[in-house]
Amino acid sequence: MTPAPALQAAPTTHKIKKDITTVIKSFTALCAILLSFALSVPAHADEAKSASSPPAKFVQGLGNTALMSLTGKNITRKTREDRVRKILRDNFDVAAIGKFALGHHWREASESQRKDYMNLFEDMIVQTYTTRFEDYSGQKLKVDSSTSVPPHGDFIVASQVVQKDGPPVKLEWRIRSEDSGMRVVDVTVEGVSMSQTQRADFDSVIQNGGGSIDALLASLRDRKDAAANKKG
Amino acid sequence: MSESTFKAFSAVLCLSLMISVSASAQSQPNTNTEYKAQEVSDPIEPVNRFVFGFNDFLDRILIEPVAKGYNYVLPQMVRDSVQSFMRNLKSPIVVGNDLLQGKIGDAGVATARFVINSTIGIVGLADVASTKGLKYKDADFGETLATWGVGSGFYIVIPILGPSSLRDGVGTFTDGYVDPVRLYAYNTDRMWIYYTREGIQGLDDRSRLIKPIDDMRANSLDYYAAARSAWTQHRSAFIRGESADDTGAGAAGSTDHP
Repeated sequence: MTPAPALQAAPTTHKIKKDITTVIKSFTALCAILLSFALSVPAHADEAKSASSPPAKFVQGLGNTALMSLTGKNITRKTREDRVRKILRDNFDVAAIGKFALGHHWREASESQRKDYMNLFEDMIVQTYTTRFEDYSGQKLKVDSSTSVPPHGDFIVASQVVQKDGPPVKLEWRIRSEDSGMRVVDVTVEGVSMSQTQRADFDSVIQNGGGSIDALLASLRDRKDAAANKKG
Repeated sequence: MSESTFKAFSAVLCLSLMISVSASAQSQPNTNTEYKAQEVSDPIEPVNRFVFGFNDFLDRILIEPVAKGYNYVLPQMVRDSVQSFMRNLKSPIVVGNDLLQGKIGDAGVATARFVINSTIGIVGLADVASTKGLKYKDADFGETLATWGVGSGFYIVIPILGPSSLRDGVGTFTDGYVDPVRLYAYNTDRMWIYYTREGIQGLDDRSRLIKPIDDMRANSLDYYAAARSAWTQHRSAFIRGESADDTGAGAAGSTDHP
């Protein structure tokens, strides 16, 4: 097939002008179409996705308790630490989270290493959250929805931390029903899973320590000692 | 549009088309249902660690102090105006990427936002559109490539800009290349406009990340590894379409958990 002659001929100035007009016209038309689409989009369509289900209520309760008893400037570090530990043990499956965070290294760990690790892991979580809650004030937790997900029948509870300064922070809680009641097994902040990040962090420490779990245990111990020294 | 710009644009489009065609054959959705952690591919880790260390140093001595000062000196209202103005300037890129991703509704919202905020919102200084239910939603060329089935490629740390991936690095470069502000600055020989804009953009972005970054520095054993994981997760959540303004249970799709 021979190409159309118009493609071979050099375009005249007139033709370019005509082309530009066509481009502008089509662009305007496109804008109009897009605008009509935009205006037909419903502003809010995702309200009330079982925000009153048991997992949603559990998260709301946990959030309220934590924000009420852990924030504020007039409690001692020790009191705050004790409260964090209690809330953690009562509401989180620390064993499952710790095991996940160690990844495949869990299988290689000896019984005594596992025990040491679990203690150090819980201490680290307590330290981290005690410090975090020291700086908190005026935040509120707003639960949006709860969805059941496969394969374990866990629930994902979507929520937001509403702050006085700055935009809301999106939090997602993974809740599992256990014999002892509902337990948090992961928290995702703006798409970042705390367990997943912890696991990557720990794995890197172990790999850089020559593949030994003792390297991680030493690192966790150092951190604990440093925190204890800082407290004075 | 000047001739060179037009050429560049066509080149980008051709390239995009080529990638999309080659990618469609091997595109596959994320069907990872295994009980295992997401491994981040990082074959140039030593180089990345070096650049990360450099960025971290620069951040501690210069960028973070300036960002903190910026937060301290300017009230929230003014900083929000700066953010709205910056976002408005980037609207054409967002609309373009929405269209390339076939998200006609999003492109419409972004266009309407641009029209409303540029006029009623006084050159974008006030985000009037979001009060009318037209919420801001970002889109970039890295995401567009992902939508077309291009995999992320390995992890890279770009000097000053920070964590990225091969795909998203190409995306950032492409978005910058076709950015109307850059084209205008380049064609009128006033590149300072572009550099100033980029500087303010970076400062505004960094000023909103003071707490998360301080927190991660304080609470990770290996800051590099924690940041690599967090960035990768945040980026995949964004590409899966879980923006911060979206209140749906987004992680429902992820089965990787304790």
